Amino acid sequence: MRILIIEDDVEAAEAMVRGLSDNGYDCTHAADGELGLAAAQKRDFDVLIVDRMMPKLNGVQVVETLRREGDATPVLFLSAMGEVGDRVDGLKAGADDYLVKPYAFAELIARVEALSRRRETGAVATTLKVGDLEMNLIARTVHRGETEIDLQPREFQLLEFMMRHAGQSVTRTMLLEKVWEYHFDPQTNVIDVHISRLRSKIDKGFERQMLQTVRGAGYRLDP
Amino acid sequence: MRLPRIFRTTTFRMTLLFLAVFAMSAAAFLFYAWFATAGEVTRRADAEITREMNSLEAVYRRGGADALNQALIERASGERPFLYLLLDKDGKRMTGSIAESPVDVPGPGETWASFSVTDIDMDGGEVKRPARGVQEQLEGGETLFVGADVGESRGFVSGIVNALWGAGALVILLGLAGGAIVSRNVSRQMAGLTDTVAAVRGGDLKARARIRGVQDEYDELAEGLNEMLDRLERSMGGLRHAGDAIAHDLRSPLTRLRARMEAALIEVEAGKGDPKQALVQALDDADGVLSTFNAVLAIARLQAAGQAPDQTHFDPGQLAADIAELYEPLCEDKGLDFKAELTPQLTVKAARPILTQALTNIIDNAIKYTPPGGAVMLRVRRRSSGEIEFSVTDTGPGVPEEHRARVVQRFVRLENSRSEPGSGLGLSLVAAVAEAHGGRLELDEGPGAYKGSGPGLRVALVLPRVE
Repeated sequence: MRILIIEDDVEAAEAMVRGLSDNGYDCTHAADGELGLAAAQKRDFDVLIVDRMMPKLNGVQVVETLRREGDATPVLFLSAMGEVGDRVDGLKAGADDYLVKPYAFAELIARVEALSRRRETGAVATTLKVGDLEMNLIARTVHRGETEIDLQPREFQLLEFMMRHAGQSVTRTMLLEKVWEYHFDPQTNVIDVHISRLRSKIDKGFERQMLQTVRGAGYRLDP
Repeated sequence: MRLPRIFRTTTFRMTLLFLAVFAMSAAAFLFYAWFATAGEVTRRADAEITREMNSLEAVYRRGGADALNQALIERASGERPFLYLLLDKDGKRMTGSIAESPVDVPGPGETWASFSVTDIDMDGGEVKRPARGVQEQLEGGETLFVGADVGESRGFVSGIVNALWGAGALVILLGLAGGAIVSRNVSRQMAGLTDTVAAVRGGDLKARARIRGVQDEYDELAEGLNEMLDRLERSMGGLRHAGDAIAHDLRSPLTRLRARMEAALIEVEAGKGDPKQALVQALDDADGVLSTFNAVLAIARLQAAGQAPDQTHFDPGQLAADIAELYEPLCEDKGLDFKAELTPQLTVKAARPILTQALTNIIDNAIKYTPPGGAVMLRVRRRSSGEIEFSVTDTGPGVPEEHRARVVQRFVRLENSRSEPGSGLGLSLVAAVAEAHGGRLELDEGPGAYKGSGPGLRVALVLPRVE
């Protein structure tokens, strides 16, 4: 996996490069918007990490230019601005995800992972299958092996998200954003409770526990 | 040299402008009056002179020059005599009350002339008076001149004109005086406002304009100014308070963070101890600092904006239902009885994301402070006033009445809640969100004693009615 980091804060970029390299990513760093755009235009990256505020060319301009040129490489936007309007601007420009600085490194890794795998799901699937867990998106039913699992609508969405990102760590913030569409950090462990309910429905009574807790990061659905 | 203050005011300048316009119209009126009266007097005199001339011509036609001569002599001694002069064919004076004709170059037919006669007044002095007359050649070759002294009528006209001039001067004087008085009045009204502004500029944010209670435009302006100053003072106060609070609330975790890092460094340098524990705690501290910082920033932005951005109309019950769905399992997990009473099909106008955040803050608080076995209720309803109320009632220890106003302020956490995590900004953020929507935050006592706890707390976020 090749990642281009367009970030003018050299120290932050170095930390990112170090961390991502440790996780098996091949990183390239560009120190401003112009250099970043030129590098991105070569189109041999799987994910772009773009800082919003940069000299010469800002992040929004970089992403807009790439999208105009028909480049669909997944973009993760980084910004110190966490207001709703800022996030909307970034997503409108064509970014796929948005992360507010400062962030936990686990959060960055999880998001990059999610973005880098997004490309692989091409055709619109009607069923999702992870291990012996099977989800029918049309009938909205879930089976594990022979057992039918009865889920509330939100639990269904939660499981669907976990299945689409099977094998990846997903963070609580990601779940809150993508499943509930809330963009704030609750002070309580509200997501954990939903996960544990889902877990009791899909794992209880089975030998293999699919829904794993990833320490310091979040959760992962293993096949 | 500068003019006295009163003459430099706008009101006074306006008065001057009006006076100038008035003076010009007065001049126009004066001219017209003079023109009309003077013209009328001349026309009337001319008509009388013409009548006399015709009558004398008739006498001449009947009795010739002698009869005319006789008539002139008779008429010259009348009560208000005309001026006569009769000349024979050779231009020699035959009879008349004036020495010679004022007409220098007689034309054919009638010739009119304006001239003056010298009169002796009562004191024996000579007075020149204006006169007018007409001269005509008679059929027998004689020349007849008939005139009239118009001095009296002219005097009447000039009397009127003088009176008008006097009146104009009086009006201008009165106008100037009135302007001065009015502008002094206006200046006095404005002085209060100007003084207030000057005081505030000088740094006294407590200065307020006096309101006289007569509900005029000055009072309105003063009220507006005071309201603006109140707001300014509040936000300045808030800023100062935030500064103190940030210093207070960020200093301790930052100090702790620094101490931990230092201790870890010493241990690692000494080759003993695992720095990991210290790092984990340091991260926690850093996260705490950041969340406090974010909350302060969010509040500051809301207060700076004055009004929440991107407000839309939506169903508050739906929003609350989504939140209830998110939190219900958490309550159950904590052994709390959760209930939602949501009135359907209401409408609010609000910035949905920040309203959601405010409500989750309230529920977070309720869940955090309510002991297991208690209950939490989320309710959305329309008050009879039309306002939309979101309320969360819990059965926790509640907040004593005397502290309720204080917990809404930034950073304030009651002593017995210091052990719970959180930045202490929850309810202040909610209050800021309510204010940014033109609404308010209300704190009341909950349902009373409940399963060994209580009296509980009822937190209501009230949004204005949607028109």
